[in-house]
Amino acid sequence: MVLILLLIVWEISSRMLQIPDWLLPAPTLIFTEGLQGWSSYSPHLFSTIRLTVTGFIIGSAFGLMVATALHLMPRIREAVYPLLIVSQNIPIIVLAPLLVIWFGFGVLPKLIIIVLVCFFPIAVATMDGFRQTKEEFIHYMKMAGATKRQIFWKVEWPYALPSIFSGLKISATYSVMGAVISEWLGANKGIGVYMTLASSSFRTDRVFVAIFLIVVLSMLFFLLINQWERWVLRYQRKGDEKNG
Amino acid sequence: MAKLELDRLAKTFGKHQVIDGLSFDVKDKEFVSVLGPSGSGKSTLFHLIGGLYQPDDGDIRLGGKSIVGQKGAISYMPQSSTLFPWRTLEENVLLGAEIAGNVDRDHALSMIEKAGLSGFESAYPHQLSGGMKQRASFIRSLLSPQSLICLDEPFSALDEFTRQEMQQWLLSTWEEHQRSILFITHNIEEAIFLSDRVIVLSDRPATMRKEFQIPFARPRDPSLILSTEFLEWKKEIHHSLRTL
Repeated sequence: MVLILLLIVWEISSRMLQIPDWLLPAPTLIFTEGLQGWSSYSPHLFSTIRLTVTGFIIGSAFGLMVATALHLMPRIREAVYPLLIVSQNIPIIVLAPLLVIWFGFGVLPKLIIIVLVCFFPIAVATMDGFRQTKEEFIHYMKMAGATKRQIFWKVEWPYALPSIFSGLKISATYSVMGAVISEWLGANKGIGVYMTLASSSFRTDRVFVAIFLIVVLSMLFFLLINQWERWVLRYQRKGDEKNG
Repeated sequence: MAKLELDRLAKTFGKHQVIDGLSFDVKDKEFVSVLGPSGSGKSTLFHLIGGLYQPDDGDIRLGGKSIVGQKGAISYMPQSSTLFPWRTLEENVLLGAEIAGNVDRDHALSMIEKAGLSGFESAYPHQLSGGMKQRASFIRSLLSPQSLICLDEPFSALDEFTRQEMQQWLLSTWEEHQRSILFITHNIEEAIFLSDRVIVLSDRPATMRKEFQIPFARPRDPSLILSTEFLEWKKEIHHSLRTL
């Protein structure tokens, strides 16, 4: 409701005050551009989606593997964990120009940015999940004579899943941002490129279309992971009406 | 033939001597309770038998063989429910068997039925009441292949009514399955009602203070706890705990 009201105010004021289109186009203009310009931005959109998904999958897999490896080697974990936390505070984006210098303008530096952006939230969330495993559960497994592998797959992994999913959700939204920013730095395709082209030619309506696409893409990724999580962790919801 | 033998067991944590020269045994198909004040090292005793801790001195033998430091030699039912929240009742009950690598689903289902848990096979622990969870835990112990079951105050978190019901159920199930049971409790009545033998521990360091052979015939009726003879036993054991 508030959003619709805002759009109406925006529409009316941009017409009444005769704000030039290159400064702030009316919502209707953006909307028509969004509909009509499909052919001009769809290749960019798909390119960005491909980049995001690839980067996200590699980054998540990498994050999960590193977290698991560190978890199974507690001594190394103690040394590396603070480093991970500190490095999480470095905005990966600032590394982008450096990566361009090292790896050029191809797909590789872009993927590296997304992978790095995804990596930290997942690695940290996964490790926290493993660490929080209830002591009694591990205790029981040990008393029952379970091997390290059994303890990992039967207790620690399922116990960490909710944390892993919150990490995945954060990474999913980050990965879209990472993809767009990496495209700004130099690419021939992608929403980031579309956006830069639009802004340099003062097609502000297109800039808004790009923003809208990015927002929708991020939300879509988030929702997808969310649904996946609900399905995997369905035990948490089942029969909540009974016994509280 | 003595099934489980503890031979002059001793364990010290830092400066605190927790167990000192404790010797007793649990014979084949016998129900033995260990009674002691809270914090008298009862749980430490289980961890020693379960192989999680290494005793400073003495030996633990099962069927004549030393099981010191050996995990998985006994079946264990902890104080609090350690049913895994992501497993259904059926999957939880099978966990012990799964660790040992021999799963018998039909047997498990028939046990669930006998425990009065039919219809809850695919329920998750958060949907079950406290009594049902402890029943499931006990079935899990019974389905594990080990011949000795160690129960660590399994009913301490239940209300009095459920507790009596559970004791009755435990007895009938045990009489049917004929395993050796080592039962830790701080409830005198529970110990007398359930056991063939009650072992009273002294406060730190734990040593065997007294041993009582409980003569009541089996199967035992709940009304037993109101008989004069039962109360005499209760008085005597209570007295032995007081004069430590």
